[in-house]
Amino acid sequence: MPPKKIEPKKPEPKKPEPKKDATPAAKPTAPQPAGLEAEVVAPKETPFDPKSITLEYSNDQIDEFKEAFTLFDRTPTGEMKITFAQCGDVMRALGQNPTNSDVLRVLGKPRPEDMSTKMVDFETFLPMLQHISRAKDQGNFEDFVEGLRVFDKEGNGTIMGAELRHVLATLGERMTEDEVDRLMAGQEDANGCINYASFVKHILSG
Amino acid sequence: MGCGVSKSNHFHKTHGKKALRAAVLIQRWYRQYVARLEMRRRYTWHIFQSVEYSGEQAQIKLHNFLCYLMDNFTPASNERNLISHIFRDNEVCRDPEWERYFCYKNIEVPELYSGPHLIFPLTMDQAIGLVDAFRNKKQLHSRYLLQLLLETWKQIRMLPNINRISTCHSKEITICGDLHGQLEDLLLIFYKNGMPSLEKPYLFNGDFVDRGKDSIEILIIMFSFLLVYPGEVYLNRGNHEDHIVNLRYGFTKEVLTKYKMHGKRILKLLQKIFSWLPLATTIDHKVLVLHGGISDTTDLGLLARVDRHHYVSALRPPKNRPKSVAEMSIDSDVSRDLFHNKRRNSVTYPKSLVSRDSFQNRSLQDFSKIKGEDELDTQSVCSPRRDRAEKGCADSVSLESINCEEEWKQILDLLWSDPMSKDGCVPNEVRGGGCYWGPDVTEDFLNKHNLQLLIRSHECKQEGYEFCHNRKVLTLFSASNYYDVGSNRGAYVKLGPDLVPYVIQYQANSMTRKLTVRQSVRQTEGSAIKVLREQLFSHKSDLICAFKKFDSENTGLCFVSVNDWACAVEGVMSLGLPWRVMRSQLVKCKTNDSMIDYNEWFHELAIKGSSADHIDQSLLETLYRHQATLETIFRIVDLDNSGFITMKDFVQTWRLLSSFLKLEITDQAIADLAIDIDQNNDGSIDIEEFMEAFRLTDKKSRLERGRSMFMGTATDLTKLEGDPNI
Repeated sequence: MPPKKIEPKKPEPKKPEPKKDATPAAKPTAPQPAGLEAEVVAPKETPFDPKSITLEYSNDQIDEFKEAFTLFDRTPTGEMKITFAQCGDVMRALGQNPTNSDVLRVLGKPRPEDMSTKMVDFETFLPMLQHISRAKDQGNFEDFVEGLRVFDKEGNGTIMGAELRHVLATLGERMTEDEVDRLMAGQEDANGCINYASFVKHILSG
Repeated sequence: MGCGVSKSNHFHKTHGKKALRAAVLIQRWYRQYVARLEMRRRYTWHIFQSVEYSGEQAQIKLHNFLCYLMDNFTPASNERNLISHIFRDNEVCRDPEWERYFCYKNIEVPELYSGPHLIFPLTMDQAIGLVDAFRNKKQLHSRYLLQLLLETWKQIRMLPNINRISTCHSKEITICGDLHGQLEDLLLIFYKNGMPSLEKPYLFNGDFVDRGKDSIEILIIMFSFLLVYPGEVYLNRGNHEDHIVNLRYGFTKEVLTKYKMHGKRILKLLQKIFSWLPLATTIDHKVLVLHGGISDTTDLGLLARVDRHHYVSALRPPKNRPKSVAEMSIDSDVSRDLFHNKRRNSVTYPKSLVSRDSFQNRSLQDFSKIKGEDELDTQSVCSPRRDRAEKGCADSVSLESINCEEEWKQILDLLWSDPMSKDGCVPNEVRGGGCYWGPDVTEDFLNKHNLQLLIRSHECKQEGYEFCHNRKVLTLFSASNYYDVGSNRGAYVKLGPDLVPYVIQYQANSMTRKLTVRQSVRQTEGSAIKVLREQLFSHKSDLICAFKKFDSENTGLCFVSVNDWACAVEGVMSLGLPWRVMRSQLVKCKTNDSMIDYNEWFHELAIKGSSADHIDQSLLETLYRHQATLETIFRIVDLDNSGFITMKDFVQTWRLLSSFLKLEITDQAIADLAIDIDQNNDGSIDIEEFMEAFRLTDKKSRLERGRSMFMGTATDLTKLEGDPNI
């Protein structure tokens, strides 16, 4: 398992936004630092004042993040920069699991065309990561199982694979067909059913 | 969809919020899981690549050392004899004698032989037949192989150093990069693209052999098509078309295993063929294709004129030619003298020993119309000291420069260099040969020669190809799953008269199809981590030394902080890997307050179950760290390629190795080693057995072992999934 070094702070109550598509139109429900609401277009300006984020990482942790950051650095000269589009992935690689809209918010709600062109350096990235890591509770095994139980029509511990695929591809932050295939590979039995407790174990074990 | 949808809709309306929450939760976690997987894939990649390159470097160091030994042991000494034969030029130099030596006619093909029969001159049907035969796992009989090699040799020695292709008649040329013995990839390319024919010219850009298990089959296929379509099949030499490199990376072993009786002859003939392979190819005078790269001194005019076949191995300059010069003698005294005075360690700066031979087989290419080109200029490149040895030669040959050292460096650069993103040109310390060249060098070079694109191979790329230097340089790599199952795609390029490269990617997927992404990343990562742990264990003494330096208060306790651990490890291993990210994979024992107990760690790393408990620890470490070098030396020492060496030679080898590594290994320690493995007590040692006895061979480990692609099936892999040691 990849090292998970970040201890999230005590969760602040925050409901996941009920929305039907992935565009960042949701209203924030958690207290956010001032300045977040401003429409920011310039790439280097973070949507929140970095000074308002106190970094609580140890040097060891920061060194480790740097290593991971470098792994994703695709600049030809190794400038220690990643694109906006990669920010979410790097945070996730470091053990966070923000929603896409969380990431976009922290990036200052950039335009879609900025995602693969604008860059973020490590110093800018760190407060973003810190902020995300303080997000509320990330969901544990029970939350998942509860959530999936919703689809268990017969109450027997299994759900229809097709049903789940449909949900994942149409609700929330929609996944592509390809992503769904990858996630579900090998999970459905001969009848197309999934035992969701083991499915959740599978996802959580990375 | 109708019924299901309305049912679901209804269902969702009643459970809307919960369903949504569940969906978002799963989606978040899925995306995290994918990102983590991607990170693991990337560092796994780095592990393989850095270990691969450091292996190449070790090979070159070994080679340098053997050169040094050659010059410093007295001629009659045993050690010199052991290794001198790999430096001995092909004893039989004149063409008719070669033909006699490699006569295949008295080799009989038994009736039971079920492989393909060849009748020369080859036809297209026979070439296609060979492809089919190999697809069905047949082997070509040595008689036909030798005949094929002879015909190939006759054909390619007529070729110029730099091939010229044109795309007139609207022909598209298919260009392939490194194949490294991976027959499946070649078959896949033929399947997708069609086989070579009059309408379908192909250019193969080197590194056909080593690492994969079907190198000889790939060569046979290429050579057959070359003979059938000499105007449509082009081959460039790669750095692995070199018998010294082959000793380490598996091709030699493959040939000797598949052709027990005639393997040695086959290898000798291949050595010659490799030296005759063209060095580069131009397409429409606009696109240059070569295996490695260029340097800031690359001179196509010079390269077009060299006697390329004198450079049997790119790793050393050619030996003296007796006929040419009165003053220069082939006495080892002279060469020793030169070496002593001027030797430097790096292979990229060799010293010249030799004078030029006559220019009989010089190519007819003439690049002299390139601006700035002046034949007389090359003379001035000679350094003053060299003139002393060569002034005799200068008189007896033509005006053109006899700058052998320069030529050799040019060829080395062509076959070993890699591009870098910074401007300039620096020696390629990682590989130990060639250089790193920057975008400015590309720009100057292309302008100077009126070219618009450079296509090269030599480096594995995740997508099978990569542009750099403002899209003026294209790296093309055709061995998919090179490091392991699922590691990378392969690619080939189609180039039409517009000279715009059209890239096609693929992945040989008899294994990947059956694995999920997760399984393949996990498996690849598993083997990379295993190799890395072995490497770490084999550097135990150095690491302990480094750790102790952090114990500034001399507590004598064996703890080190995570940060110090990472610094020390990088300092010793120099692999440039993300140690902190990988720490949990590498250090399984519990850490206490983020301090690592390194004694505990080494216990955990120790390679278990070897029969080595009574063997001296530092000897053992040497064994593990230098296993590939050790095996290479054994194969060199095994003069008749039998797979066995005598006890006496075994002891000699260890002495050689201890000298190389500057270690003190007592004769007693060596004797202990030997006794363990000479199980038949006949005074000879089976090399494979030896390597196995100390668990130095691991059938699943891919690196440094002439890669045997994992031969299991998908079900084997799922069984392995749960095994923590894989």
